[in-house]
Amino acid sequence: MFSFLFRRMLVLIPTYIGITLIAFAFIHVIPGDPILVMAGERGLPPEKYAELMHAFGFDQPLWKQYLDYVGQLLQGNFGVSFVTGRPVLDEFFELFPATVELAFFALFFALLIGIPAGIIAAVKRGTFFDHSLMTISLTGFSMPLFWWALLLIVFFSGYLGWTPVSGRMSALYFFETPTGFMLIDSLLSGEEGAFKSAVMHLILPAVALGTIPMATFARQSRSAMLETLNEDFIKTARAKGLSPFRVTIVHAFRNALIPIVTVIGLSVGVLLGGAILTETIFSWPGIGKWMVDSIFRRDYPVVQGGLILIATIVIIVNLIVDVLYGIIDPRIRRQGH
Amino acid sequence: MNVESSTNQTQQSAMMAMLASFWFEFRQNKGALYGLIFISILAFIAIFADFISPYDPIEQYRDVLKLPPIWAEGGSWAHILGTDALGRDMLSRMIYGSRYSFYIGSIVIFFCLTIGIVLGLLAAFNRGFIENTIMRLMDIILAFPSLLMALALVAVLGPSLENAMIAIAVVFIPHFVRLTRAQALAELGKDYVASSRSMGASTFRLMFINVLPNCMAPIIVQATMSFSSAILDAAALGFLGMGAQPPSPEWGTMLADARQYILSDPWMMGVPGLAILFTVLSINLIGDGLRDALDPKMKTAKG
Repeated sequence: MFSFLFRRMLVLIPTYIGITLIAFAFIHVIPGDPILVMAGERGLPPEKYAELMHAFGFDQPLWKQYLDYVGQLLQGNFGVSFVTGRPVLDEFFELFPATVELAFFALFFALLIGIPAGIIAAVKRGTFFDHSLMTISLTGFSMPLFWWALLLIVFFSGYLGWTPVSGRMSALYFFETPTGFMLIDSLLSGEEGAFKSAVMHLILPAVALGTIPMATFARQSRSAMLETLNEDFIKTARAKGLSPFRVTIVHAFRNALIPIVTVIGLSVGVLLGGAILTETIFSWPGIGKWMVDSIFRRDYPVVQGGLILIATIVIIVNLIVDVLYGIIDPRIRRQGH
Repeated sequence: MNVESSTNQTQQSAMMAMLASFWFEFRQNKGALYGLIFISILAFIAIFADFISPYDPIEQYRDVLKLPPIWAEGGSWAHILGTDALGRDMLSRMIYGSRYSFYIGSIVIFFCLTIGIVLGLLAAFNRGFIENTIMRLMDIILAFPSLLMALALVAVLGPSLENAMIAIAVVFIPHFVRLTRAQALAELGKDYVASSRSMGASTFRLMFINVLPNCMAPIIVQATMSFSSAILDAAALGFLGMGAQPPSPEWGTMLADARQYILSDPWMMGVPGLAILFTVLSINLIGDGLRDALDPKMKTAKG
C-alpha cells in the first residue's frame, strides 16, 4: 500500500512542475504590464515603477523568476493580493471552510438522493419509476447550473419567502468564527436562531450545487448495479435464499462501488467548478467567488495562487480516491502496481 | 463495366447497409429521436433567423421596456415573448441566439476533434517520451476544474465569445486525447494492424486510414456530449461576463441581463434558460442514441 502511494506521489512531481509553470506563465502572458495594471488609471512615477519592478522581481531573467517563484511556493509564500495587501494563503484559508461547507452538503445531498434512487431504478428496471428517474436525471445533467440556482431563488426566496437570497448568515447575528464552518460556529456562539439562520442560508446553494452530481450519481449507480446484478455470484446468493435486500445491498452494491467511487471522486472537480457559479449567484464568500472577483479586479497574485491551491485540492482528492479503490477492492491493492 | 467500378458499387451498397442498420438502431431510442427533431427545428430557426425573426435582435424599443410575454397580464402580440430592460424584443433575441449555440458547439468540437485526435494518435504510436509528454500535459490541464481554467484563460485572452470558445476547447481537448489514445492502443494489438504494417504501410497510413476509423464510435459519442457541454460552459462564461459581450443575443448573456430582475420580473430569465436546457438535453439524448446505435458493446443497460 505504501509503495503504491509512494509511486503514485512520484508521478505528481512533473504534474506539479506543469501546474506551477501555468500559474507562473499566467502573470506573464496577461495583456499589459502587470505593474501598470496594478497602478490603474493614475499611473506611476518612473522611480516608483522601477522600484516595484525590482520588488516583484520582474527585472530578472524569466528562468530565474520562475525558480524564485517555486522557491517561494515551497516556503508557503503564495504572494500578496494587489487589492487587500494580505497574503494569498491567509485569504485562501479564511474562505476555504465556506466552500468546504457548501461542497460537503451539496455532495451529501447528491449522495443521499442520487445513489438510493439509482439502486432502486436498477432493481425495478423497466418500471415507470426507472423511466421517470432516468428522464429526471438526464434533465438534471443538462441543466445550466446558474439558471437552476436562479430558479430556486425565484421560487423559494421570492415566491415562498422561505430562504434568504444570499450570504451565509443573517446580519442580525454577530459572533466569532473560530472554525470558519458556519454551522459549527453558530452552534458554538450560543446565539439563539443563529444555527437556523445558517441552515436556511445553506440549503438553496447546496441543493443548486448538488443537483448535477446527484443526476450523475443516479445514472452511474444504476448502470453499475445493473451490471453486477447480472453476475453469477448474485444468482448464487439468490439461490442460497438470501433476502432480496441483503443480495442488493451487501452483495451487489459493494461490488458496484468502484465505478460509483470513481464518479464521486470526479465530482469534486465538478463541485469546485460549480462552486464558482453557485457562490457568485448566492454571494457565498468562498474560494469560487474569490477567484471570480479576483479575475475581475485583475488581482493576479490571487488568481495565480488560487489556481495552484485549487489544483492541489483536485490532486489530493484523486489521490484519496485511488487509495479508496485499494480499500474497497483488495485485488487492486495486491496487484502492487 | 470494369472491376474498379464494381468494387465501388459493392463498397457503396455496404455503406448504405451500414447507414440503414445505424438508422434502425438509432430509431429504437425514442428520446434520441425527439432530441433529433428538436435540434433539427432549432437548426432551421438558426439558418432562417433573418426571415423568421420579427424584429432586429439589438434594436431597442424605448417605449416598451420590460414588457411581459403574451401569456402574462399586460402582454402584447407585438412582442410575443415580451421585451427586456432595454426594450429589445425577446423573441427575436431568442431566435438569433440559437445561432450562437451551433456556432459555439461546432467550433469547439472542430478544435477538440482535430487536435485531440492527432495528439491521441501521436501518443499511441510513439510510446515513451512523446506519449509521456503529451499525457502529462493533459493531466495538468485536467488538474484544474474546467470552468476555472476556462475563466483564467479568458482573463488572459480578454473577454469575448471567440476567446471563450478557445478556452473551452483547451479544457475539453484532454478528454479527446485520452479517449483516442486508449482506443488506438486497443486497436494496435489487433491482427489487421500487424498485417498492414507487414505490407509496408506508412505510420501515417496506419494512423489515419487503418486505426482511426475503428476508433471513431466512442469519439463521436464524446464529441456529441462535448457539444452540449460547450454550449453550457459558453453560457456560463457569458453569464459571468466572460463570454459573448452585450449586446449579442447569446442565451447565457441574456440570463446575465435578466439576473438583476429575477425577483421583480422573473419571466425574463425563463425563456433563455429553458432554451439552453432543451438544447443541451436534446443533444445529450442524441448522444445516448448514437452510443447505442454505433457500438452495441457500449450499450448502456436499458430496460
